[in-house]
Amino acid sequence: MIASFNLIEGGLALCLCVAALACLFDRHLLRASCLFVVFALFMTLAWWWLEAPWLAVAELILGALLTGASLFYALRAYRPNGAASSHRANATPHYDSFRGSWPHGLTRALLALAWCFMMWGAIRFVMPEMVYSPAEHPLVMAAVVIAATAMGAFALHHHLLRRLLAFNILGSGVFLLLAGMAGTEEGAQALISVGLAIAWLGSLLGALLIRHLFLLEGKNALSLDSQTKEQPQ
Amino acid sequence: MTWRFGLTEATFEPLWLTHWVLAATLALPILFGLLGALFSPRRTLPVALVCVPILLTGVLLLMEYQQAGLLRWQWQVAGVTVSLRLGGVSILMLLVTQWVGAAAALYTPGHLRLTNPGKQARWLWPLMGVLISALSLIWLAADLLTLYAALELMGLAAVGMLLLSGKPAALQAGMRYLLLALVGSLAYLLGVALILGYWGQLNLQALAEVVEPGPVAWIAAALIGAGLALKAALFPLHGWLTPVHESAWTPVSALHAALVVKASLFILLMLWNILLPSSLFAPRFVAWLGMLAIVWGGLVAWRSDSLKTLVASSTVAQLGYLMVAFPLIIGPDIPPLPKALAWEGFWLQLIGHALAKAAMFMAAGNLILATGESSLKGLAGTSRRLPLSLLIFGLASVTLMGLPPSSGFTAKWLLLQAMVMTQQWVAVVALLMGTLLTAAYVFRVFRYSFDETAPRHHYQPLAPSMDLVALALALAAFALGLLAHLPLALLQGGGV
Repeated sequence: MIASFNLIEGGLALCLCVAALACLFDRHLLRASCLFVVFALFMTLAWWWLEAPWLAVAELILGALLTGASLFYALRAYRPNGAASSHRANATPHYDSFRGSWPHGLTRALLALAWCFMMWGAIRFVMPEMVYSPAEHPLVMAAVVIAATAMGAFALHHHLLRRLLAFNILGSGVFLLLAGMAGTEEGAQALISVGLAIAWLGSLLGALLIRHLFLLEGKNALSLDSQTKEQPQ
Repeated sequence: MTWRFGLTEATFEPLWLTHWVLAATLALPILFGLLGALFSPRRTLPVALVCVPILLTGVLLLMEYQQAGLLRWQWQVAGVTVSLRLGGVSILMLLVTQWVGAAAALYTPGHLRLTNPGKQARWLWPLMGVLISALSLIWLAADLLTLYAALELMGLAAVGMLLLSGKPAALQAGMRYLLLALVGSLAYLLGVALILGYWGQLNLQALAEVVEPGPVAWIAAALIGAGLALKAALFPLHGWLTPVHESAWTPVSALHAALVVKASLFILLMLWNILLPSSLFAPRFVAWLGMLAIVWGGLVAWRSDSLKTLVASSTVAQLGYLMVAFPLIIGPDIPPLPKALAWEGFWLQLIGHALAKAAMFMAAGNLILATGESSLKGLAGTSRRLPLSLLIFGLASVTLMGLPPSSGFTAKWLLLQAMVMTQQWVAVVALLMGTLLTAAYVFRVFRYSFDETAPRHHYQPLAPSMDLVALALALAAFALGLLAHLPLALLQGGGV
């Protein structure tokens, strides 16, 4: 009985990881947004599994429905409407073709690793039993992997929509970690609900911004952001 | 040390009237903001009428605090405890928030009338209301959940306000600010998760009793510190600040630089005070960064060609003074006297900077609006044509430089005294260098503006309310140096 339960939880953790990684590293933006919705649905299942039905409802409404809708709303900006829609170039803005240099990627990977170690160190103290049997809490393991990768991806990507996606997935990873470390008592549930609402509001604001930026400046404006980020002003 | 933040038991229960005043303090700004969106006021008088009840709630709370001392509220909402407290620091910052907020609101109609920004301008009012309410909640909140919610609400309202100007540069800077602020809040949340998982407490007062120094406290403090430092634009994480101010509206910039960055700093100081009661390294580290911030911010402001960049970079440097005071306030084995002096200096510097920076942004905005140019060179000849705006700029910079008798002088005097007593000579040098650099960049502005040979341009006339509000703020910052005993008496109340 216990083994089968662990199997379900392990499978859920694996699905979460795969969906998150695919969403973070898919260059096709529409597909990545769909993957995010799938990820949010898996998160809903995870909350259900952790016996937090209200969080599952909140995740379903705020995470999957509303955040997903915001992302698709932002994506509509890339489709040249009206006259240009007949053109074949229709599909290109859906694709992030920016290629970073490899030192950039390497430093971001190191950042993700450092972040991963830091979270692992934190978990070691709060959940000492994790050190001896890490496989017993597959969801927490998944949360560490997801949060670390998302942090790296957030720093790595230049495209604003991909950074927004990375933020959302990082948020989900942090919420899962919170639930793993503090349990799903009322205080933790309230923190996560506030976090979900804020993440949705932030995504909505970000989506509005991306759309406005695209309408004003064209698609080049959407990946300029991190070019100037490294130079302190 | 936690008594300084009002995290102790209260002697008296709040009266029923006080409950209503508290509710009004938190709800009225949002309510009036929504009314503002509905009616979109174009004149100063209705805005002034609306500001009166909000300011009145602050004064009533002040009177209540002076009579009853520390006040606490606690409610159970669906199994979650929400707690607020009104201590000396809370009431002081609440008053500063309400008055600076009122000043920004009074400045706005004139600014909107002259710039004619279009329809999106009406959204400024509700966002401003939410910002003031969220800030008030931050000063009052006594548990980590309320702090988190208020912090996020404030951050989102601030981003929304900064975007209103609608220029592509503003949108890009705003997007970067939004993403960084959101990720910063996730770092904060992870720190809170650690605290909740290990000690099982969200209430600050209860947390202060159970916290013991150790790796968990250090990691939680590091996560919370990183997240909040990003939001407060503390030195190495300040890159987003200047571009954000570059294209924002003047009243928005004034509110942001005066209050929004300070709120994150306040939370950082309060939580570190609880989590790291005897850590030597962390506050020192912040202080070293603060010294770098003073020098770096001063140099960038000195070299800048644009007036807004100058004012924004000066914020980075002025936040450095506050960071330098960290080891004096939360460091171990600091004798009580320098600790008390640094505590007073910290808050006086924070309040003086809030008033002076709001005045400076408004004066700079007035100059830019009147001349139509945002570069320093465009200021040539303003000494003859816009003497009042330039005078306000000068008055505000007197406070920033720390010349007597301004509040900047009193604050730096207190900080210097504490540093000399604890023999932190490097910090003393950094403080003095900061003063020199401030003088250097301020006089650069005056060198351009006193250029008498400049050709005569056409200047846009300003609304009288714009100059008056800025002048009042600058004078308040100036007078605070002479009347420093009033706020400091509030700070020392509620305990010992």
